[in-house]
Amino acid sequence: MGLLSILRKLKSTPDQEVRILLLGLDNAGKTTLLKQLASEDISHITPTQGFNIKSVQSQGFKLNVWDIGGQRKIRPYWRNYFENTDILIYVIDSADRKRFEETGQELAELLDEEKLSGVPVLIFANKQDLLTAAPASEIAEGLNLHTIRDRVWQIQSCSALSGEGVQDGMNWVCKNVSTKKK
Amino acid sequence: MWAHVWGFLYSNYFRFWLKWVLRLLTGKCELQRLLGGAEAGARRTLSVEHSLESSKNKVLRNAVHVEEAEVEKCVRDVMKEKKIGQKDTRFKTNLRISLLQISGYKKLYLDVENLRKVPYDSENEEHEEQLIELWHLLMPHENLKARISKQWCDIGFQGDDPKTDFRGMGLLGLVNLVYFSKHYTNEARQILSRSNHPKLGYSYAIVGINLTEMAYSLLKNGALKGHLYNMVSGLPQMEHFHQFYCYLVYEFDKFWFEEEPESIMHFNQYREKFHEKIKGLLLDHNVLLTLPDTKKP
Repeated sequence: MGLLSILRKLKSTPDQEVRILLLGLDNAGKTTLLKQLASEDISHITPTQGFNIKSVQSQGFKLNVWDIGGQRKIRPYWRNYFENTDILIYVIDSADRKRFEETGQELAELLDEEKLSGVPVLIFANKQDLLTAAPASEIAEGLNLHTIRDRVWQIQSCSALSGEGVQDGMNWVCKNVSTKKK
Repeated sequence: MWAHVWGFLYSNYFRFWLKWVLRLLTGKCELQRLLGGAEAGARRTLSVEHSLESSKNKVLRNAVHVEEAEVEKCVRDVMKEKKIGQKDTRFKTNLRISLLQISGYKKLYLDVENLRKVPYDSENEEHEEQLIELWHLLMPHENLKARISKQWCDIGFQGDDPKTDFRGMGLLGLVNLVYFSKHYTNEARQILSRSNHPKLGYSYAIVGINLTEMAYSLLKNGALKGHLYNMVSGLPQMEHFHQFYCYLVYEFDKFWFEEEPESIMHFNQYREKFHEKIKGLLLDHNVLLTLPDTKKP
């Protein structure tokens, strides 16, 4: 194979597209995370009505990230976005202990969804920049994550505000996409 | 590419010679031509602003950053610099108005930005009072049973405590919501009740906070200049920003129901369409975006 054809071949393999679904309760920090991933300004965020979508290039992948509003009133619409999801990212406000039960219930329901069966799930224990944030291990225990056996999963502590931990989570995402798709 | 080259040549060379030729022909400098001719309003003040900003003279360039208290002195300095007789009262008055508008706009942005930067704080009594006031203005016949209550969803907050919904808009979001409900109470209640439409409904308060962001970003990038220069022949105030917000809320509601979106999930798509529409209107030099006059004192 000549150099030219190798170059041509390299050029003709476009980035593999990955559909990522970002879910969680309202005020969990999904939009901040999305903007952090796209390296956008995070100081003017407003509550999400409907959804936001952004495409981010990462490690040879084109990540199409769907950030769906978390307000109770629009959670019934979540299911419209399940189809063809490669990775589910579930975001939790680690400082909002009063809603741990609610967020656990929503997650459990998502994991029961047929259209999401087998989809790898990354749980971001967000807002670790707050003093009152629960550590990821405590959240993992509270949500009984160890009982998840039908898919790969990971919990990652992060602060979408400072960006800390976000890249580690995304590395996990890219690793698990490749094993599933190839 | 050619546009860039032309722009560079124009602003660095041709503009200077063009001004020189016009000065010879008319016997007046650019500022005199602008301030003597056009009618008051956006067209004139925007041209004056552009002329001052691109001037090679430091006194003129700094004039767009002058504070209110310094405006009189600045007008005299500019006239001295351009050798315009101090007796030319028409020039004096008109330049004064333009400078007030130009510096006032910058000041207004800072005021709005400062309010936005104050995060909503549920420990702060003043913040809490305004939140409760919002409830009473919108729901006069219903008692709020507790500060933390699912009832907040009835006026379009996301959950049982609105404090987490103001986010990046901070206190500005709340002040905007209260202003509209207070000065256009009937319209606010009407829009709230429409927003509860079973199919086309949206979350009133959350959408309001989204529209605060729209008003804020238009102010920040200078898109509101034309509108405010036409509206106020002097210093624009915070109230004028709130008024513009009210216009957005009122018009967005109309727009939303005319467009009949499939569901609330398409909000951002229609928000963007509405945003483009407003940006288009703001390009017109005669623009004045106000509500029909039903405001309560």
